[in-house]
Amino acid sequence: MFAPDLYELRSRFDDEKILLCFNGPISRSLIEEIGNALRNYLKTEQASPASALDVFAVYIELTQNIRHYATRSGVSGADTATVVVSLKEGHYHISAGNLVRFEDGQVLEQKVQTLAKMDKAALKKIYKEQLRKPRDENAVSGAGLGLIDMARKSTAPMTCSLKNIDGAKGYFSLSVQI
Amino acid sequence: MNDLKIEATQSTPLIETDAGRGIIYMEGDSYPENSFEYYSDLVAWVDQYLKEQTRPLSLELTLLYLNTSSIKVMMDIFDELEEAHHAGREVTVNWHYDLDNERVAELAEEFKEDCSFAFNIIGQE
Repeated sequence: MFAPDLYELRSRFDDEKILLCFNGPISRSLIEEIGNALRNYLKTEQASPASALDVFAVYIELTQNIRHYATRSGVSGADTATVVVSLKEGHYHISAGNLVRFEDGQVLEQKVQTLAKMDKAALKKIYKEQLRKPRDENAVSGAGLGLIDMARKSTAPMTCSLKNIDGAKGYFSLSVQI
Repeated sequence: MNDLKIEATQSTPLIETDAGRGIIYMEGDSYPENSFEYYSDLVAWVDQYLKEQTRPLSLELTLLYLNTSSIKVMMDIFDELEEAHHAGREVTVNWHYDLDNERVAELAEEFKEDCSFAFNIIGQE
């Protein structure tokens, strides 16, 4: 019988101060349930209400972005999300990754890098511009407002990575610090 | 006109309208995946109320967390109130929040920046 080495897995979680991890196809109800667990955890850890709300907000935007992308792109396996929340040196780190079309990943990477260079005032300005854009235009690039919102909440520039899987597909992950 | 009464769920707020008194109540979190679809009844109600009635309209909000697509819907509603306000209509937003959580006040404050009608952000113990 195959038995995964859970102790090794757990040790890695402990080493990396991972307090929550999910890997698998993500649904609307799973997003809610995991979000609920995350909120309860933050409450027992006595995170300030403001940072608890920021962590929750980033978690929701990241996972809903993945759901929207999976539906819109039709990329098979894109709805399998890896979500990790960790607490390192007094900061929460919320990360999520999924399969994307490689060129979509490159566009996202470019956006994240552009946002990373902007200060608070510039981010607020483009956030308000995006908020004012007609909805149709927004529906095509659904992540528009969500990415900017996360960049505004992040206490350090957002970081992302794009791993080429087979030329056509890539694995995109994004990390936000609160 | 028909009033709305939509029960709260984990990811959607309680929504109640009272056309007789000109009040909309919303309370809770809002992060549905399909915000535009989800709020279409409310948006239609606001539209109809502002067109068919002449009474004032007041929004009593106790909203905590809004995902970005809910924020966009709320901005659309506030834009409509702003338009009505410019046409001489009396419109008010009262956004209630827990004083412990300044993020909620900051969110309400950013909406308020774009509105010239009465927009009150009310902290509660």
